[in-house]
Amino acid sequence: MHPFSYEKVTNEHEALERARLGKATFVAGGTTLVDLMKLNVEVPTALVDINGLPLNQIEDRSDGSIRIGALVRNGDLAHDSRIQSRYRVLSQAILAGASAQLRNMATTGGNLMQRTRCYYFRDPVYPCNKRQPGAGCAAMDGYNRIHAILGASDTCIATHPSDMAVALVALDASVHIRAANGERVVPIMEFHLLPGDTPDRETVIRPGELITYVTLPSGPFGPRSAYVKLRDRASYEFALASAAVALQLEGTTVRSARVALGGVATKPWRALEAEQVLTGAAANKATFLNAADAALTGAVPRRHNAYKIELAKRAVVRALADALTH
Amino acid sequence: MPSRSVGRSVVRKEGRGKVTGAARYIDDLTFPGLIHARTIRSTIPAGEIVDVAFGFDTSGFTLVDYRDIPGRNIVALIDDDQPCLAERLVRHVAEPILLLAHADREALLAADVRIRYREAVPTYDATTSPIAFKTIAIDKGRIDQGFREADVIVEGEYRTGHQEQLYIEPNGVIAVPEHGGVTVYGSMQCPYYVHRALKVLLDLPDDKVRVVQTETGGGFGGKEEYPSMIAGHAALVAIKAQRPVKLVYDRVEDMLATTKRHPAVIRHRTGVKRDGTLTAIDIDAVIDGGAYATLSAVVLSRGVIHATGPYRCDHIRIRGRATMTNTPPNGAFRGFGAPQTQFAAEVHMDRIAEALGIDPVRIREINALRPGDRTATGQRLGRDCSALAVLRETVKRTDFKRKWRAYARLKASRCLKASRYKEGGSRGIGLSLFFHGAGFTGGGEVKLASKASLALTDRGARILVASTEIGQGTRTMHAQIVADTLGVPYDCVDVNAADTGQVPDSGPTVASRTCMVVGRILQRCAEDMRERLGRLTPREYLKRHGPLVITREYERPTDMAWDDNSYRGDAYGTYGWACDVAEIEVDRETWEVKPIAFTTVHEIGKAIHPVLALGQIEGGSAQGLGYALLEEVVMRDGRMANAQLTNYIIPTTLDTPPIDVVILENPYKHGPFGAKGVGEMPIDGPAPAAINALRNAGFDLREIPATPERVMVSEKQEPRHALHA
Repeated sequence: MHPFSYEKVTNEHEALERARLGKATFVAGGTTLVDLMKLNVEVPTALVDINGLPLNQIEDRSDGSIRIGALVRNGDLAHDSRIQSRYRVLSQAILAGASAQLRNMATTGGNLMQRTRCYYFRDPVYPCNKRQPGAGCAAMDGYNRIHAILGASDTCIATHPSDMAVALVALDASVHIRAANGERVVPIMEFHLLPGDTPDRETVIRPGELITYVTLPSGPFGPRSAYVKLRDRASYEFALASAAVALQLEGTTVRSARVALGGVATKPWRALEAEQVLTGAAANKATFLNAADAALTGAVPRRHNAYKIELAKRAVVRALADALTH
Repeated sequence: MPSRSVGRSVVRKEGRGKVTGAARYIDDLTFPGLIHARTIRSTIPAGEIVDVAFGFDTSGFTLVDYRDIPGRNIVALIDDDQPCLAERLVRHVAEPILLLAHADREALLAADVRIRYREAVPTYDATTSPIAFKTIAIDKGRIDQGFREADVIVEGEYRTGHQEQLYIEPNGVIAVPEHGGVTVYGSMQCPYYVHRALKVLLDLPDDKVRVVQTETGGGFGGKEEYPSMIAGHAALVAIKAQRPVKLVYDRVEDMLATTKRHPAVIRHRTGVKRDGTLTAIDIDAVIDGGAYATLSAVVLSRGVIHATGPYRCDHIRIRGRATMTNTPPNGAFRGFGAPQTQFAAEVHMDRIAEALGIDPVRIREINALRPGDRTATGQRLGRDCSALAVLRETVKRTDFKRKWRAYARLKASRCLKASRYKEGGSRGIGLSLFFHGAGFTGGGEVKLASKASLALTDRGARILVASTEIGQGTRTMHAQIVADTLGVPYDCVDVNAADTGQVPDSGPTVASRTCMVVGRILQRCAEDMRERLGRLTPREYLKRHGPLVITREYERPTDMAWDDNSYRGDAYGTYGWACDVAEIEVDRETWEVKPIAFTTVHEIGKAIHPVLALGQIEGGSAQGLGYALLEEVVMRDGRMANAQLTNYIIPTTLDTPPIDVVILENPYKHGPFGAKGVGEMPIDGPAPAAINALRNAGFDLREIPATPERVMVSEKQEPRHALHA
């Protein structure tokens, strides 16, 4: 680990001021950042501890939406009764991630900034375009069973690791970002970037900007949503494939639907093709199979990860069946 | 007469210190003037070093390369082929080349060393590697005749991967230059291995090298031979700098550079009669030694001796080969070759049963070794052979036969219904029968000639052995044996630190030998001490006669014989016997494999400390399930690509089913209180039991770990392995 300075701030203004100095990084739960600093993958010269900011509330808004402070811990969010009843998929997704100890530390904002588990990104010996633009990608021809089949580019095939963000994509959340010159609100679909030619740029966040809130719109889905995560072991493990879905029914017909995929794409992946198949169709297994096929039509397998196509389809079918029967 | 402690779960000697945090591990220790060392390692798998350039101001640094080695540049072990620091040739990624040291850790980490290489073509395939570290042939009877007697011949090929020991505390040492020599403190299993390696490396006499084991956070074999390497590095720097030197690996370096379980490819060809009797066993086993010999020869030896599994057969041919590849050397890991070969044997046994149309229990009942039978090496088994007992107890306890038939029937009915996604869960139940020789293989114990000492104290006795406590309970178990033999309370027996300046060479803490072999030597010390004491209390004796220290050496049981050239004879003093049953559930839609129940019956002679024995069996079983289902070392161009705990995964509590352990006791006449070894055996059985359970559920695998993609593919394969003779 390289030396760094550490400072605790107590308000947003101070946080934004400090963040402008040198190679500063905000730290909240630290559950990803500290790991990566130990591996010399992240080498900030200054840590600005934002745990003292008043951003740890979950609030009902008058328009029926819910506003989640960026410092709300994953554990608190998942166990909040409003989230459990109205946004079941989000609660399930969070609880499918990491371990109880990590969820008690990890924050809403930090989870959105989580970085990939690609072996080659996390080991500075290998070339990695995400870590060092232009260095090359060791995963492309390397062992890539955990890598992406959707959204990859010629420079990067690393998957986005978050479970929470997949549910947020399915729920059409918005991310509130504070900069020195004001606030902007970004739809979650636009928050994470495809790798393209700049895999080092993972989100729309610019240096010195701070995530303050995530808002969940009042959706028509009620409790009819579900998250299914398939992984190598039962806990403390990233998805090989996951699906976050939500259904709005009219009798036995799907009126509207949301489908998002995790573990298989370079960013939390909204499967609009699958939603189109579902919308207006009978809510049954045959439809779900068609939707799963549609979700993966654009998938491009690499040498070791072709199995993920089938695995992801099955996650979608399982999640839809679960949402339907709930 | 104090109450006996053997057979009771007394408070462990070092338990209080560990639980309260008072125990001090190597990284907790410091010395005045201590500096930190760092190892500069090869980044290529094969080639030559062309030159070395330092991209930093070297003043204030201690730099060490092979030219600083006063003695021989080897890590003395068996073949003496591994340099302590590479000179010109490099044979694997992470091979140590240079050592840097500095008082300031930041400066040390920032130091930039550039090495240019001339690269050579590496070898990665163990089965085609032209270099063999060791070949072993075991022949019993006449294999041709065995195949002539067979009605059916069953063939199969089985593969196992690397496995990382993943002790909680990484490798680490501190070397202190003193008295014209060096003292090394460290996390290790075998202080006298380190002692010998340092003498050879540093060209120092016995009394100028002292090795002290510090509290050690696990080993599993991973601290058998590697500490000799890291201790050598720290000692070289300490001698050059004339300051204490700390060298502690972080997790990534530990995973990249240190030894792992040997991957293996094992082929079986078996002749069997229609009634299930084995007539011929023909096995070809190749293990991947990595770049240097380390312990590969003896890992292979234990592997091939256990390769038939615990079965009798008159005609056996086994060929074993440990070969060189340009990957970091593989070495000792709990089980030591036997988990690989018994995985193959036990998965193959289920295929034989299937080819004959009989159930997995019956095939094992017919062929299991019984007292009086001879093993592959011709060893005649004594009355403590318990293969049938453990098999029957496990089968009864798990209702195995009924469940196995029921799951197999379900599988057959499902195959008739072709649908895109097969819904619902599939259950499977699988069994493995296995054995494990305790102590060094063949003539190993005679060559070791281990010693143990017992010193009389005011209140009882003090144990002086080089056996190390690495979490398994050595100190406690030894103290129990001594207390009961001497007739003093358990609390009146102390255990000296494993310090080569104070204790005799009791051999390494490996090979399930610490209780059965070293414990027996200690018991003889205690027997002699008791006789010397007569009617006197320890205090009276000391007052009247002065200090009393009794030292005894290993004595080979007179009925044991071994010939290393023909590989015939008594390979081990005795064997432990065990049977595992794993019940798993596979989600047929998502291929998630979940072990839901695990039962194991272990016959270990005598459980000196039942809770510690249980802990060994549960821990080994969990580690074996990880080996079966999860743990995969990804090698990329000769380098471990997933050397982080986020990407190399071991079972969590949620992945480990409730483990039902039954301990049976069939005493070994030469073990202390009848005890055999228990440390390694538990890891031999879980992998084949889990894979056999998957097969019972309809998933046909021959390779571990059983990751989702392998399980996915295995469902489609039709069994095609039986050839009719």
